[in-house]
Amino acid sequence: MQAFELLTANNSRHAVELLAANGPAVKTLAGGTDLMADFKSDTHGINALIDISRAEDLRGISLTDDRLRIGSLVTHSEIMAEPVIRDNFPALVDAAHTIGAVQTRNLGTIGGNLMTCIPSMDSGPTLIALDAMVTIAGVDGSRQIPLADMFLAPRKTALRYDELLVDIVIPTRNIGKPTAFLKFGLRKGQALALVNVAASLWVDEETNSFRDPAISLGAVAPKVIRAPTAEKYLAGRAITDEAMAEAGRLAVDDAKPISDFRASADYRRELIAVLTRRALAKAFELFTTRQKENSA
Amino acid sequence: MSDITLNINGETRTASVPPETTLLKLLRDYLNLAGAKLGCDVGDCGACTVIVDGQAVNSCLMLAGQADGRDVITIEGLATRDNFHPIQQAFENNGALQCGFCGPGVILAAKALLDENDDPDVATIRDALAGNLCRCTGYTKMIEAVQVAAGELRAEAPQQLSHAKSEAAS
Repeated sequence: MQAFELLTANNSRHAVELLAANGPAVKTLAGGTDLMADFKSDTHGINALIDISRAEDLRGISLTDDRLRIGSLVTHSEIMAEPVIRDNFPALVDAAHTIGAVQTRNLGTIGGNLMTCIPSMDSGPTLIALDAMVTIAGVDGSRQIPLADMFLAPRKTALRYDELLVDIVIPTRNIGKPTAFLKFGLRKGQALALVNVAASLWVDEETNSFRDPAISLGAVAPKVIRAPTAEKYLAGRAITDEAMAEAGRLAVDDAKPISDFRASADYRRELIAVLTRRALAKAFELFTTRQKENSA
Repeated sequence: MSDITLNINGETRTASVPPETTLLKLLRDYLNLAGAKLGCDVGDCGACTVIVDGQAVNSCLMLAGQADGRDVITIEGLATRDNFHPIQQAFENNGALQCGFCGPGVILAAKALLDENDDPDVATIRDALAGNLCRCTGYTKMIEAVQVAAGELRAEAPQQLSHAKSEAAS
């Protein structure tokens, strides 16, 4: 590897101070599963890494005041093992489980996965379908923006070089919202998504119709996107297999998939329709399962 | 230079290395522990797998500085002078390795699994070994060997428990 300096941050405050003090040719290092692999071929002129892997205040998952906070340094393995997440958002467990292999999930962090800003990331769709917010810190204070606005383009986020992703917050109104994540890759392990989809929905129990349906798609546009046409179609509509299938077809037009060596755009379009329908069905199934458990 | 002190296989080891040194390079080039292998060097193949603070990781993706102060287990830490570790023995008895290059990584990935779960089903074993590529065996005998090793370790465990109990009593 090309030479660089390694500066260890003790906490998030220290990290942003180090980022600001060392100029634009710095980068934040968390789990390293993406950054180190990239650095083996080229360090892109970066001359110092700020290692945040020991910043304890970036860890932890907590459900407080009914909002769920996930520290940016939480690993994929920790998400899979966390009871609060398993109970409220099994989709986040499913998404974490599809990332890399055990070795990747033990080192790799949710913040790092989001900051790669690659369209096929597996942490993005579920969080976007739950309207997650992110806290971004700089030396002059912190700001909170929707995660969807943090993604600008492939490998380009809304963070300045001297800013740090601190945590991801799922807002109160979406705690416990039935959500499902599905991914199609070419193998069961260590495969990038050809398409990944998350769907979340509330159910209006009097009319058995969709309330606040949200669909998010990955690997089918320059960044993780929502499928507004499909969402609008479902909102207030009776929950039927036909409605879910139609939403899947409409979601295809919300996406702009490309052809590459993994799959053709046509194949990805087929996948969007099928996976969207299945994700909606799976989220609804989670709703009915929970309802049975509550009444039992 | 980064000054690194870490516990490797129960022994405190120190080294002074350039900051861009990976844990894998530290082990192989500075500490003469060449059991962990350099395969793909980008976290795909798992040949460099070691256990850090109880978790299997790709040592090619971890900087030595990030491992400073941590507990590391490498393949050199498994066998005793007289005996293989039960997982190593099961791999030998079942013919689970051919060229053996992936072996240290696979065996440590299996150890990290069995330390957490002493009776994994086949799907769980496959999941735990998904990050370790083997171009010889086709994996079937490895998975069988992990199941055999799990049985051996379960058979050993009650003795350790009774030992712990007698210690607690005394």
